[in-house]
Amino acid sequence: MAKNSRNYILDTSAFISLESINLLDKVLHLFFVSTTNSVIEELEEFTRYDDKYGQIAKRVLGKKSKFTIKSAKIIESIKFLEVTDNEFYNLSLKDKSPLVTDETKFVHHTRDKIDVYFSPVFIILLTQSGHLSKEKALPLLEELRNIRNWRSNIIYLTIKNQLENLD
Amino acid sequence: METEQFNIRMPKELLHDLDIISNLLKVNKSEWIKAKLAEEVYEEKNKLLMELSTLYAKGMINKNKVEQLVGKEIADEMESIKIVAQRSAKHGIEYGKKLKKLHS
Repeated sequence: MAKNSRNYILDTSAFISLESINLLDKVLHLFFVSTTNSVIEELEEFTRYDDKYGQIAKRVLGKKSKFTIKSAKIIESIKFLEVTDNEFYNLSLKDKSPLVTDETKFVHHTRDKIDVYFSPVFIILLTQSGHLSKEKALPLLEELRNIRNWRSNIIYLTIKNQLENLD
Repeated sequence: METEQFNIRMPKELLHDLDIISNLLKVNKSEWIKAKLAEEVYEEKNKLLMELSTLYAKGMINKNKVEQLVGKEIADEMESIKIVAQRSAKHGIEYGKKLKKLHS
């Protein structure tokens, strides 16, 4: 199956979330995915620890050939964000591509400026497109919720509600 | 870090127990209390904010009520999370439908 022309920019949190529920391969297969060097450095930093996140980060880095690493000059800066997040934000501005993250602070400061989504967007998208069954989608969301310690937060409740009501 | 004096009266027995801990661990009593209190406050604050955000997500309280309870900054952030979570779902549904058509 040919790759869809849509490009998504993923940050460290999105890579970790998607790989933790084994959904990253499907996303990389269907879409063009790009990220920044800072994200790669963050993932490499994770691999220094042999914990759950370190192992997931290793698996993400093993798929490096399947996504593009880009750099973006910081032209527009948001003062509440770190330099790495500003680079990420500027890549989205430059490429006019949606950005996927699970960082709520980042989302709060960028939502009016760029298209930004939480990583479960792919659970809904792949279910709606028929690449993932609804029966598998809900347990995946539960798994992600546990890994991310989301409990009954807004992201989990909103996505769960939508998934349950999909045609 | 900026600090502020906060006085608290404690039962003598508790103070005695604190002395025991302080002697055994060879730590400063105030520092130990501060560290323990910080851990507890962090946990409790996150737990309560999570409960509040659940009520907000379910529409059981509105943004104004959240703002009254915890201030504008947190209320604004909760609103952003709700909006982006809804947008994510909407994008997933709409683009998923397009993708299905493309591949059918």
